[in-house]
Amino acid sequence: MPVRESEAIILRTYPLGDADRLVSMLTRSFGRIKGVVKGARKPKSAFGGLLEPLTYLRVWFYENETRELVRFNQAELIESFLDVQQDYAAGIGLALLAEVSEAVLPERESSDSAFRLLLLAARTIKQTRDPAFPVAYFCLWTVKLAGWLPDLTACVKCGRSAANEAMYAAAAYPGLACARCKRPGMQLMPGQSLSAARRMLSERLDRLAAEPAPVSPGREFQEYLLDMIEHNGERKLHTRRLLEAHA
Amino acid sequence: MPDFAAPIARLVDELKRLPGIGQKTAQRLAFHILRVSREDALSLAEAIREAKENIRECSVCNNITDADPCLYCTNPARSQKTICVIEDAHNILSVEKTRQYNGVYHILGGALSPLSGIGPEQLKIKSLIERLKGGTVEEIIVATSPTTEGEATAVYISRLIKPLGVRVTRIAMGIPVGSDLEYADEVTMSKAMEGRREI
Repeated sequence: MPVRESEAIILRTYPLGDADRLVSMLTRSFGRIKGVVKGARKPKSAFGGLLEPLTYLRVWFYENETRELVRFNQAELIESFLDVQQDYAAGIGLALLAEVSEAVLPERESSDSAFRLLLLAARTIKQTRDPAFPVAYFCLWTVKLAGWLPDLTACVKCGRSAANEAMYAAAAYPGLACARCKRPGMQLMPGQSLSAARRMLSERLDRLAAEPAPVSPGREFQEYLLDMIEHNGERKLHTRRLLEAHA
Repeated sequence: MPDFAAPIARLVDELKRLPGIGQKTAQRLAFHILRVSREDALSLAEAIREAKENIRECSVCNNITDADPCLYCTNPARSQKTICVIEDAHNILSVEKTRQYNGVYHILGGALSPLSGIGPEQLKIKSLIERLKGGTVEEIIVATSPTTEGEATAVYISRLIKPLGVRVTRIAMGIPVGSDLEYADEVTMSKAMEGRREI
């Protein structure tokens, strides 16, 4: 059993047995993995505060081919997000990043772009303490990387350009539709939202967030993205309800 | 599952629903219950029934109790000027073991946890604010766990309470007594440095 090493971001932990923790983390080299940290809940555990959600760390773990769970051996902190989560709004935003990553990313499939996206979004929330824009950017790119994002430039049925006009969309239907081709149940996506989304697909988050008035895809488009994540991930997001209640 | 008689299978299924109990442990417990005398087995069943029927939440602090208000709230020897806020009723034991705290408690029933869908509405924060309206409380000690959820809850509560003019304190975080600094993780060590005090 060789020891494996990777950078990782903690997504979620669950208490296990008397003093252990089951940890779900996104590693840069091995994708999303789950494993056990023995004695992690004891006060003298060497892992201590390293297993809090969104902590960015380097981990060493053993993998047994016959077992689904890995066994974590050692960890070293790279960056902690503990302090920013004291802010309730920022904490909900960070929790949504973790929950979406858990829902969307398959186990043991490495994705450097998903790892970098999660880290960038978490760092932007840490810097700005405002989760709205980083969460929108993260959801848009998550949907894009998962291959669920439709063409944002034209109607999927008649090809009519969406450059300056509103379109209609629903998570259950592929593609955007113009006013003439829309189907029942589709929601209005204002033209402004679509152009903001197109801009977010061509710029880095930290650059956009640094602008005096960052672009916003709007509430309708944000809901459409979350609907798509819930629809394709086949689960409801707990953090979505809290985020909407707090907004 | 092997073909057990229906009553045993039911007992195993019920035991399996307890935390930390898997199939094998449930079977072991079920066969132990069958092996002990009828009186002992029924005594266990009676204890469970009695606890479920007689134990309720204290209307003041939300502690689990058989008398309302609970013995901590009604004890005249305990100071009503300090309230220690904790996540769950079993956390009282950890504080009581120190024999250094003589105030009363308030149990929140958990901590803010967006990943589990627990927001402020699911916690007993409103009843804590109500308790402060009498004007006798001078200090709130927030003794939630030193985790992301516990910290977020502590900060959330302090933002609500501080404008009411009540002192809000947080239990210290850092290196456990008897441990070796060499093995302390970076987050714990930085919290210990942040919370250092003059000697």
